[in-house]
Amino acid sequence: MDTASFQFVLFGLAAALVSNFSRSCLRRSIVLLAASVVFLGLLAHNPLVFLPLAGFLILGYIGLFLIERGVSRSFAWSVVFVLFAYIWLKKYTFLPAGLFLHSPYFTLGLSYIFFRVLHLLIEAGDANEKRHIGLGAYLLYTLNFTTFVSGPIQRYDEFAQDQFASEPIALGPRAIGSQLERIVRGFFKVNVLAMLLHAVQQDALVQISQPLPPSLKLYAAFKLAVVYPFFLYANFSGYIDIVIALARLMRVRLPENFDRPFSASSFIDFWNRWHITLSTWLKTYVYNPLLVALMRRISSLALQPFLGVFCFFVTFFLIGVWHGRTSEFIIFGIMQGGGVATNKLWQLELIRALGRKSYTALAKNPVYISFGRGLTFSWFAFTLFWFWANWKQIDKIFAAIGVAQWLGVWLAIWLSATVILASWEWLRAQLLSIKTAEGPLLTSRYARVVYASALGLVALVMTTLLNQPAPDIVYKAF
Amino acid sequence: MIQSSTGAPENMKEAKALRCDWIVLPMLGLLTIALTLASTEAIARGMFFQTKTTAESCMVLNDPSTGTRGIPGCVCWEKMGENQPVEYRFNSSGYRAEAEFGPKPPGRYRIVIVGSSFAMGMRVPMEEVLSTRLPAELSDQTGRRVEIFNEGMAGKGGSPRSVALRFNDALAAKPDMILWILTPWDIHYVSRIMPEDDMPAGNRVFWGRTRRLVKESLARKSIPEALHGLSEAVASRLIADRTRLMLQHFLYENQSLCVKSYLRGGDEEAGFLRAEPSTEWQGRLGQFGNYAAELERRARAAGIPLVAVFLPERAQAAMISMGEWPPDYDPYKLDDELHFIITSHGGTYIDILPEFRGIPNPEQGYFPVDGHLNAGGHAVISRLLARELTGGAIPALKISAQQPAALEQRR
Repeated sequence: MDTASFQFVLFGLAAALVSNFSRSCLRRSIVLLAASVVFLGLLAHNPLVFLPLAGFLILGYIGLFLIERGVSRSFAWSVVFVLFAYIWLKKYTFLPAGLFLHSPYFTLGLSYIFFRVLHLLIEAGDANEKRHIGLGAYLLYTLNFTTFVSGPIQRYDEFAQDQFASEPIALGPRAIGSQLERIVRGFFKVNVLAMLLHAVQQDALVQISQPLPPSLKLYAAFKLAVVYPFFLYANFSGYIDIVIALARLMRVRLPENFDRPFSASSFIDFWNRWHITLSTWLKTYVYNPLLVALMRRISSLALQPFLGVFCFFVTFFLIGVWHGRTSEFIIFGIMQGGGVATNKLWQLELIRALGRKSYTALAKNPVYISFGRGLTFSWFAFTLFWFWANWKQIDKIFAAIGVAQWLGVWLAIWLSATVILASWEWLRAQLLSIKTAEGPLLTSRYARVVYASALGLVALVMTTLLNQPAPDIVYKAF
Repeated sequence: MIQSSTGAPENMKEAKALRCDWIVLPMLGLLTIALTLASTEAIARGMFFQTKTTAESCMVLNDPSTGTRGIPGCVCWEKMGENQPVEYRFNSSGYRAEAEFGPKPPGRYRIVIVGSSFAMGMRVPMEEVLSTRLPAELSDQTGRRVEIFNEGMAGKGGSPRSVALRFNDALAAKPDMILWILTPWDIHYVSRIMPEDDMPAGNRVFWGRTRRLVKESLARKSIPEALHGLSEAVASRLIADRTRLMLQHFLYENQSLCVKSYLRGGDEEAGFLRAEPSTEWQGRLGQFGNYAAELERRARAAGIPLVAVFLPERAQAAMISMGEWPPDYDPYKLDDELHFIITSHGGTYIDILPEFRGIPNPEQGYFPVDGHLNAGGHAVISRLLARELTGGAIPALKISAQQPAALEQRR
């Protein structure tokens, strides 16, 4: 049930069906809460394992309660307590092991609950925000089964606007059809595409340390680096497709989490398109306040552009570190932060050297964009070694071929990504240019029925033939 | 008013279009599914065509005195999807061989191979089969003239019980060694000698399997699981056999998918890979021990050494090469058990499984769905066997220190 399985989809569809029996916000909320509780019950059968999670939620609600009532210093203390409780429950390795709870407990979804709770506390602490969130609404928001396992991280006001609306958002046949098609697409991505890509990656991992001829080893290294980003995208975005569609069928609009990330022409642009709700959260609550605070303290005009670079680094370093508890993720964070900061510095340097007008012209140049896209992909693919592998595997991977060969592989990835992604963008534009009176032919409901039927059939056949569960949703582990 | 009067025909058009969609869109979906299934099956039939005749066309399947055996002098062709067309030519003794089995010429070292389809070279042309390659390799390495009589028999004709029934054929050839090629299949069907005679007719198979799948689905724990099972039952009924073969062929070319799928095959299929075999598998091993003891006794009485070797299944070979497997599994377990059984009765056991650690992608030596060794697989096994046989396991074939240099000179 904690993956994009057939059972999860059926559970979500059943919940959506029951939810639509009434338009009353109270009844819809009761259905959502009941579905979320049942969902949790299906994930773990022993209620005791939920105690730490319940404690975390109570801690967050007490903080929220105190802040809303204006108790002095409650904001700072609440944030500190919630932050510490999160780090403690997630067992970050920099804390002494003796501090941790040693009996097994449930942490699935904790990271996403943490973001939601922290968001509520920060917004409640904002002097301009005056609202009261009841315990029921708090639990609905934090335990909502559609966003529980891996997000997307929704803002409370957006959630409340749809969930507690006296007149719920419309859900006609076309909207239902679109959501069902999105569920099929998501199911296909997770259960077919991601599974096949994962299998290719696993094979490449084995091959790279086998006694193969050098050309085959280089090919294995190429596959190992290239396949994982696509796997991760299919795995995560497929799951997000399913939950967004299920929530929409329950008349709640969840925020989008992906916007064709491999079309990004720079690393900064990439993070505007990949795990959007996470990067938006951190930009709102880390980047902006940090930049404002630094600009207040450092008045030098010459230094101001570099403050943004520094804030970018900190924000995306935190994004990287958030992904895991081990030292590999510190390197991953440095690479994300370093990538974004270098990208910003490059932009600043080009503007200084060429002037803003020439830089703007260059940034629109298709060749420049294509190479930027290829570089973005290859850098992201490279950083992902510290995302999925442990130090032992990383050591094995990099020892398998020499430094010069790795540079050659990386260059090959950059160039091939440049050509292939540019060709894809061109093809997509050409296909979308075929239009009818209602818009592009390929996005018409007829075309969508055709490919949803085909994808659904393929997904069903493949899951039957392979007779094995798809790989877990990677982001549920964070 | 003006707006409503001009908008009305538009709204009616829209409403009519929506009403049409209720029919057009489901029809479009069904048409897509039907066309996808039909076109895939057409492609699969083109790529993986099958002949009406098979190796079994040249076999007697229902003789309880011999088990499954070849029809003397029979020739037939077979193409079973994944392999190239193969000719099966049976000699007058009823075994797959180009030549007749005659008396042993002086100075010749004769090996008789017994076993099942791996030994017989099922799905592979005769010139690529282990029994054709191995004499050449052994002759090259030892300098002796080595010949092999292949008495391997596909199907239940290769089970240990069938081997025991026809063992006199092997002894009558007066070989210098009998090489018993074993596979997990031989242990699974240890005492079967004929195909199951209670096979229902085609139509009954279809409805019987469908009913079984639906029953199994409904017996599952929860409603979602039952619905999932039902959908799988529908999907498995929708896919024609050739489409299934084509898709599985391409999917199982991937090493990790092949291993994972195989391990989900349950105890019947993958139970021999369990670190703790089930009682069924332990029972089969017990029966195998009895047949091994009998064969060993008869060979010893004839003064002929009996040498056994175990060839891994496709997924098993891949697991050994990958060097990792799930905690409850052990790809060496059956090999160890057979080693113990064979040597405890005084036979010689050649262990080639550890060699698979150094072979990248050994699963490429098998047909992905059919599971038999392909030509590449026969070449690998032949090389490994030659290395082991000449490495000291069989004194008469051992290469002495001076031999390689002398052989090199002679070449």
